[in-house]
Amino acid sequence: MKTSSSLKGIRIIDLSMGWAGPLAARNLADLGADVIKVESCENFDWWRSWEATQEWIDEDGAEKSPAFNSVNRNNRNITLDLSHPEGRELLLKLVGRANAVMENFSGGVLPKLDLSYEVFKKVKEDIILLSIHAFGSSGPWEMFRAYGSTAEQSSGLPHVNGISSDPPMMHHIAYGDAVAGLNGASALLIALRHQAKTGKGQFIDLSQVESLLPLVAHGITEFTANGKEPERNGNRSEFFAPHGVYPCEGEDKWIVIQILNEDQWLSFQELVGAPMQQFGNLEDRLSKLEDLDKTISEWTSSKEAQKLMYVLQDAKIPAAATHTMSTLLNDPHLNSRKFWQYLDRAVVGNQPNPSAPFKVNGERLPIKTPAPTLGQHNQEILTEILELNQKEIDRLENIGIIGTKPKMPPP
Amino acid sequence: MTKALEGLRVVDIGGSISTEYCSKIFADYGAEVINLEPDSGFETRKYPPFINGRDDSAMHAYLNTNKLSVRKDKLRREILEELISSADLVLNNGKKSELSSISKGVFSDISWYGKGGDYDNFTGTDAQCFALNGMLRGLGSVEGPPIIPTGYQAQIIGGMAAFVGSLGQVLGVELGNKKSPTLVETSIYEATLCLTEVGAVSFFNTGLEGRRLGVNRFAPTYPLGVFPCKEGWIGLTVLTPSQWHAFCKLLNMEHFALVPEYQTSLGRLQDIDTIEPVIQESLLTFSANDLFYKAQQEAIPLARVPTMEELLEVDQFIERNAFTYAILSGEQRIKVPSVPFRLMDTPPTFGGYVAELGEHSERFNR
Repeated sequence: MKTSSSLKGIRIIDLSMGWAGPLAARNLADLGADVIKVESCENFDWWRSWEATQEWIDEDGAEKSPAFNSVNRNNRNITLDLSHPEGRELLLKLVGRANAVMENFSGGVLPKLDLSYEVFKKVKEDIILLSIHAFGSSGPWEMFRAYGSTAEQSSGLPHVNGISSDPPMMHHIAYGDAVAGLNGASALLIALRHQAKTGKGQFIDLSQVESLLPLVAHGITEFTANGKEPERNGNRSEFFAPHGVYPCEGEDKWIVIQILNEDQWLSFQELVGAPMQQFGNLEDRLSKLEDLDKTISEWTSSKEAQKLMYVLQDAKIPAAATHTMSTLLNDPHLNSRKFWQYLDRAVVGNQPNPSAPFKVNGERLPIKTPAPTLGQHNQEILTEILELNQKEIDRLENIGIIGTKPKMPPP
Repeated sequence: MTKALEGLRVVDIGGSISTEYCSKIFADYGAEVINLEPDSGFETRKYPPFINGRDDSAMHAYLNTNKLSVRKDKLRREILEELISSADLVLNNGKKSELSSISKGVFSDISWYGKGGDYDNFTGTDAQCFALNGMLRGLGSVEGPPIIPTGYQAQIIGGMAAFVGSLGQVLGVELGNKKSPTLVETSIYEATLCLTEVGAVSFFNTGLEGRRLGVNRFAPTYPLGVFPCKEGWIGLTVLTPSQWHAFCKLLNMEHFALVPEYQTSLGRLQDIDTIEPVIQESLLTFSANDLFYKAQQEAIPLARVPTMEELLEVDQFIERNAFTYAILSGEQRIKVPSVPFRLMDTPPTFGGYVAELGEHSERFNR
């Protein structure tokens, strides 16, 4: 059966920037929605750069950001100066021809542009607005600023990770962004289903911090069910042993090994041989963790991580080598499943694009177009959707409402 | 229609953290979700943490509010087939199931590595996904070993991705864009790549490989991390030049504000040995709570870093009902996170009852 686009006929106006919003939009674009990203030449997506200089502009820096390019594929791009009444008016006309709008501006930006759910609703009665804010669109912290990292810090997640002698440990530079992106896509799909059934739109309030709370659920419920703050024991588990990350041959090469039942332990014991015979059942192993980890480390340290992973997995023992960003691109599993789709992109040439993490009827969702350049589809969108003529488009360009090159924002 | 997913029937035959998180969002937004469990119950009923004084899993309770539980062995064959064939969505955990051929809607399989490929037969865990996706290698001290993230984070992310794939296809059928039956296969490993894919694409373009810089250090942003204060922990993220200037003023270290090399986060990271001791010393003169509010008034994105106990008492979360209750038999309640997003006109159900194994079997046999 051929894969067709699930969201054919759905149009999303994406005002979001950075990672969370665009990742949500990307999920819908992958499913076939017509996602139109709106930037402006002065207020371009900050993931192109948050430290722009004139030299960066002159060297086409705006088109070279791997971060921007990896999350904005499959969409169309228009520039509109929303601070200009005509730019704002054009946006509202686009909204009038869309199913949903999404934004993740800092609190205060939309009101400053005289835009809101109520304003969008006036031009399109059944419009959906998804607002992705760090702490949500209500409550005492509604206007507080945050990045994905701030969301992780605020979620409690650092207090369930790491080692108790270290500070509470973060995972990632922007954990709260990527996870909020998945939640944003989910929320939009639910609202689109409701819209299709009833002809009604609505406002969606998404909090990035609350998006991370499910990932802390094991720690939260440990406290709410038992009154215990989770212990931060690093790689040790109170239920399993061995359970850790062990050194392999070469600099900074590691392998994760987790023995989750006694069958796996017996296989592991047999595979390693004599050094493992000194350790017995789970209780015995849990009482000798220092010795156990040291003995395993001695065994793994002369072995190549990727090869060892296959040897252990062949024996049904949970194990994985630690990849780096370079090995990730050459991961044999991802490559055999055609996870990276390569597309030619203006300015930067051939680029790897990560696929959606699900296949439909055995096929990858197609990545039809790479991330567009700034304002790449101005002409197409203004003529085909907003039905402007060439003279009007030229005038918009002359007065700076549309354009294809970033401008340094005023100091 | 008061619930956005009203009218949809979802049957979970997998009973993994991923299938249950995926179906939880369906249940919270009004779909009928039926856990079709083996006579021993879904595996998640045996997952820690457990509820004090009971055998019940708190994690299972969190994931399974407002769902029905039916024991597969208690259903007559024709009833079982009717249940599966009437479902808009059947969720499975990647293991081979004879029920897949009966499904007439969307059959959604969530497995560690997806079907096919080198790791197809691998035994999966959350830690493995983070090892392979490149995140693990960046966590922990410089000398190592890297530190495994705790809990079920990869599986929850897998469930989130599967929700997008599954509802995407269900909606495609309802919109008339797709024909069922449809098979969706989600790989938990690939779902976690949303966290690291940007790093891989950056490497492709720059050839620069990041290395582990220590706990809470992530290039190119500095300062970023979790630091002790006089009372409590504060989370820092200072990115733009204007945030850096305001941060220096806030911490009484204005002599750093205009140093040319410190105007970029990378420049600051390169001189971390000079900057960090001054930051740490200054932070110890503030309480985390006071500093957080002062910083946010200056538009600097600092964060309080709460323990579990503190998290439940944050006024922002209380006002937004970020936590709710899972109610077990005997009226025992435990606090759990609510749905992370709110459709304002068709709000989700907050919390609810957790069915005992097979509690609803008879309802379907009638």
